[in-house]
Amino acid sequence: MNFILDGFFQAIDLLITGNAETYSAILVTVRVSSYSIGSSLILGIPLGFCLGYFDFSGKKPIRTIVDTLMALPTVFIGLLVYAFLTNRGPLGNFSLLFTLPGIAIGQTILALPIVIGLSATAIESMEKKLRITIMSMGANRRQLFLTSLWESRHALLAGAIAAYGRVMTEVGISMMVGGNIKWHTRTITTAIALETNKGQFGMGVALGLVLLTIAFCVNFSVSFLRRRY
Amino acid sequence: MKLDVPIYEIRSLKHSYAGRLVLEIQHLKVQPASIVGLIGPNGSGKSTLLRLLGLIERPTMGQIFFNGRSIGPFSDEARFQVTLLPQEPFLMKRSVFKNVSYGLKLRNNKDDLIGRVNEALSLVGLASEEFVQRPWYALSGGEAQRVALAARLALKPKVLLLDEPTASVDAASAQLIKEASLRARQELGTTLIVASHDWQWLYEVCDDILHLFNGKIFGSRRETMVFGPWQELETGRWGRKLSDSQELLVPSPPDKDAAAVIDVFSIQDAESREAPNDVCLRGIVSRLTLERNSGCIFVTIVAGNVPFVVGLSQQQFQDRPLFPGKTIFIRYSLDRIRWI
Repeated sequence: MNFILDGFFQAIDLLITGNAETYSAILVTVRVSSYSIGSSLILGIPLGFCLGYFDFSGKKPIRTIVDTLMALPTVFIGLLVYAFLTNRGPLGNFSLLFTLPGIAIGQTILALPIVIGLSATAIESMEKKLRITIMSMGANRRQLFLTSLWESRHALLAGAIAAYGRVMTEVGISMMVGGNIKWHTRTITTAIALETNKGQFGMGVALGLVLLTIAFCVNFSVSFLRRRY
Repeated sequence: MKLDVPIYEIRSLKHSYAGRLVLEIQHLKVQPASIVGLIGPNGSGKSTLLRLLGLIERPTMGQIFFNGRSIGPFSDEARFQVTLLPQEPFLMKRSVFKNVSYGLKLRNNKDDLIGRVNEALSLVGLASEEFVQRPWYALSGGEAQRVALAARLALKPKVLLLDEPTASVDAASAQLIKEASLRARQELGTTLIVASHDWQWLYEVCDDILHLFNGKIFGSRRETMVFGPWQELETGRWGRKLSDSQELLVPSPPDKDAAAVIDVFSIQDAESREAPNDVCLRGIVSRLTLERNSGCIFVTIVAGNVPFVVGLSQQQFQDRPLFPGKTIFIRYSLDRIRWI
């Protein structure tokens, strides 16, 4: 058990002394997860709104597909994105393999069904009386959309956090599409996997603690925003 | 706006939910600055009609015209002029101030926002200094309903649609809501369309009353509607045993659960019939209501457990003074009963 405790102390040391390799992985993780969560929110919230708000033929099968995609295995997404981005693949010309945008594309595919599904649930659970109230005050379609989103903000935020947590903690996409290249595409999770394989528990535990700290900061900020708004 | 153009006109309207027809109106006109009451049992189509007039839903078939122009949800011709207050109070997750000012901001009408919110709150009897910063969850049901009404009154609408505005509030809140609604009509010339079970209030204030049943308007006169189930009585005639053992007779109904529209044409001090198909029932006067516009007095007479409404002119009323608690006889003819 000593090696776990040693790892814990080593972790504190790495973080306090500003170990460059550790901070590189942190920076890469924050950057790439910000890209992917940003794009999945921009795409996913309007799509989730449409799925939750409108009644149309084929809605139920689409909802089932979205719910199924929420459980997509990350290695499978990694495999698909790799196949598309490799030189032989249809998007090979863009040279996105082993780059941060490449990882971000894969993570967006991972987060998008979660954002769509949870946004749709938030909008579906929105009271019908809210729509009547907004429309009866004279709102146009755009105002109805924006006010509905604002009124569902707590549920949407919960969906965004769930998606962010999934993106932050995934390994498969970052490993397969990013290639775990030191100083370049090495994220916290791929670094943990690598360091553990090397027997470097200290580095692994340190990075794990960082992940926990980031998760705590995000949740703290969100609960602050919830109290404020 | 031309005076001869109705503010609303409905033509050949049909509305269905999941294939079930819930409202059917061939033709209806509402005059500007009038007060129209909607009366009918639950499920008769009152709320549906208000939602259609309030641009919340589009009719399945037919058209609604506002000031002569065809409208539907989000119509620019009407969406800033019509507002609906739903039956159950609903406020958005924001402060009272933001709820009341929401519609004004939608209209980009931000001059003296604070003053106008305060004015609207005072119209519904809420002290602005006490309520304006309160969050939505710190209000009672009656206060929430009044804030919701204030949010509509702040818009100074051309049409105010009220769906059971006093159904879920206490007597004091109900009175304030009634007064504020009527002030909108007096001061702004707002057209009011009100669905309510408060017949007495509607009789007092409305220019016109529409009776709805099973999604159809069946008359605007003060007729009595009696619901089934009907049964063949021991005498071989169709009717219903009332709670005081009297027999409410009707002609053979189209089905056992049909509703009969009964037009009471006479009230008298003693039991008598002038024609074989006349039916006479004993009842007790329970309520007297003055119709403001016509000066007509409406007498509610309860026979057994069924309330009948009879309209009397001032002269008729002076000839036969009535008061609540007095026993009286009503007479109607089987030949004049309509089924719906």
